[in-house]
Amino acid sequence: MKNESFGRFTFLGISLTVAASLMLAQIVNIQVSAKMKEVSKESQNLYVVTKETFYPERGIITDRYGRQMATNKQVYQLGINLQEVISPVTIASTLASVAGLDYNLVYAQASQPYEEGKHVFVDLRVSISGDKKKQLDTISDSLAQKTGSHKSGEVYPSLAGLIMTPHLQRSYPEGTVGSNIIGFYKFLDRDGEKDLGSGYYGVEGFYNDLLAGKPQTLDVSWDPNHAVKYPNVPPGASLVLTIDRDIQAMAENIVDQAMESSKSDSATIVIADPKTGEVLAMATTPRLDPNEYWNYEKVFKPISTPFNRAISQTYEPGSVFKVLTMAAGLDSGAVTLDTTYLDTGSIEVGGQTLVNWDHIGHGYQNMQGCLGLSLNVCLAWVATQIGVPNYYKYLEAFGIGRRTDIDLAGEAIWPLLLPGDTDWTPVQLGTNAYGQGVATTPIQMVMAVSAVANHGEMMAPHILKAMVINGKQYETPLRSLGHPIKAKTADSLSQMLARSLEEEASSAMVDGYRVAGKTGTASISVGSLGYVTALTNASFVGWGPVDDPRFVVYIWLEKPKTNPWGSIVASPVFSAVVRQLVVLMNIPTDEERKKLYGQ
Amino acid sequence: MNKRKKGSIDMTQSVTQAYQQAPWRNQIKWIVIFFLGLLVVALVAGLYLSISAQSVALGIEIQDYNSNKITIDRNIADLRNQLADLTTTSEMEKRAKDLGYDYLNPDEIEYFVVAGYSGRQTAILAPRSEENDISKAMLDPNYTQSLWEWFFQGLNKVSEYPNGRSQ
Repeated sequence: MKNESFGRFTFLGISLTVAASLMLAQIVNIQVSAKMKEVSKESQNLYVVTKETFYPERGIITDRYGRQMATNKQVYQLGINLQEVISPVTIASTLASVAGLDYNLVYAQASQPYEEGKHVFVDLRVSISGDKKKQLDTISDSLAQKTGSHKSGEVYPSLAGLIMTPHLQRSYPEGTVGSNIIGFYKFLDRDGEKDLGSGYYGVEGFYNDLLAGKPQTLDVSWDPNHAVKYPNVPPGASLVLTIDRDIQAMAENIVDQAMESSKSDSATIVIADPKTGEVLAMATTPRLDPNEYWNYEKVFKPISTPFNRAISQTYEPGSVFKVLTMAAGLDSGAVTLDTTYLDTGSIEVGGQTLVNWDHIGHGYQNMQGCLGLSLNVCLAWVATQIGVPNYYKYLEAFGIGRRTDIDLAGEAIWPLLLPGDTDWTPVQLGTNAYGQGVATTPIQMVMAVSAVANHGEMMAPHILKAMVINGKQYETPLRSLGHPIKAKTADSLSQMLARSLEEEASSAMVDGYRVAGKTGTASISVGSLGYVTALTNASFVGWGPVDDPRFVVYIWLEKPKTNPWGSIVASPVFSAVVRQLVVLMNIPTDEERKKLYGQ
Repeated sequence: MNKRKKGSIDMTQSVTQAYQQAPWRNQIKWIVIFFLGLLVVALVAGLYLSISAQSVALGIEIQDYNSNKITIDRNIADLRNQLADLTTTSEMEKRAKDLGYDYLNPDEIEYFVVAGYSGRQTAILAPRSEENDISKAMLDPNYTQSLWEWFFQGLNKVSEYPNGRSQ
């Protein structure tokens, strides 16, 4: 009994020991065998930990009413997985017909031999729309149905190997509308190098960092044993602009017509709300479709052409500047509305003789007449009455020579020459008075003149109305830049300028609405020839309704060929803009407003 | 004496023998203990496998959810873009013309006062911030957070990513 039981248990013990030893041996084998090392390497590759950057969706840009000006659309980046390619010919011909790619280029890419670890994937650096992706899917499915079973290595029509990776791409649904304000986002370098993207010009450039958001980098393992906490990457800030898309589109239509009809080199229209400094529209030429930003050099010829003339091109504004001179004269008390001046047609300032635009004298004129007839001589005299230091103090208070700090990329300035500067000469007091020898951008003029329209208070011009960041909307606070002139002066000047238009029956007038405004025609200096009368910058600045200004409109036509005078070419443009503007802004006629609101 | 001693030894042996486990019982005991140990190991291994399988399944689910989230976010952005395409200025103008509308003549407009209506409101894309400090919102939090917030944010990050994965 004893021996029998000993034998059974000995056998069991030996069996278990052998089994355990075998298991141990297999464990060791797994650790050291070449095959197992390969499997281990493969699994490591499969579950490799990669550094992955999660890019937030770029913030959208809308107009003041939430209508989208810049969004993101889904596109599909084309690539070829070389190991899976069956028919380079089919891939090349299909992409040529559906996506318009070059057959030879794609064929050459798709025919490359697959080399493990070295030559695996070809990025075609082209993205296609969702519709084209659907077409390719349909073709791929029909080819797969037609072809039955095939031997390995056999070539037959197939799109196998063609990879379409979805991603978001910047899109501008409005095309060229507002493009000078929006700028563009460079999503792909057309030379072949894909860059990380950046905004250029306009809002895209100025607010690039905010729109882009904050990417987050994480070590991501595809090994499900090491599940990572994926970061919640909030999208970039979305921007609500002050512009009104309808007004912008209207202004662009008119700017194009004005440029065409006056045969000008360029045309610019700025529309702003004088009470808030909000820019409602900023139309200029040329304009680029930001969806095809790679055409930049074709559109902006020569390459020095500003992207947005309203903020990036300074010019001598001419007689529209007289509004500021008269404002300074009235506000300082140097002149009053009743002050009379004997205009002989010329005046000597700083040892040089200055003349009127028509080279004739107009006799006794009050200040209303000086502005109405746009007399250079009279305004130069007003400047001398104000005095050198005082006059330039006023110009500085109006922001001349300084950036407006509008929130758009690429604002230019021309420094205001002041007494004491080496380049300043005494005659400049006289020439500056009628807008020569001083240069501004249209937006600077809009800002300065807005003070006159807004009862003496000058508001900072801006484009951003609100911003959505981290799910909260923040409104841009209005910023007052002070009171360059008293409210009484501003209101008197507005009345003067409105009367001027009425007295001369200006083509700037608009039926039913009383508007104030001033034309400007500035000669252009051409190298050694000096100021050439035939080459002018024709401008008009106006606002209305005079009793409750809701808009300031600035028109600038560069070198008009049909007629050099602002009163002929720029004034009708102002009128055309305002006629549509009052409808788009729901501004009843003066008479109706009185009836409705008892004004 | 010797007899007495021998008798005592026999007595002890027989008592010991009487209370001693049979050798086969001892062997059974050890085998049972071994198998019990094995059972415990198997249970622990089974539990580990079960939990690890569940964790892997959840890991895969998280990966799927994340992938779905990315896809959904992309689709939302694309749909928003499609909506924008359908409501562009030119598209709306075309649709209005197709419906028989024409440009408004200012003379034909009739205005009237609607009590309580304050005019067309500008866009509200998200709830307004109570603390409407746009300049603060525009700044990177690194420039606005206090030392205290920075310290606790750092601690939170360390606790979220014990291996220091967060960047």
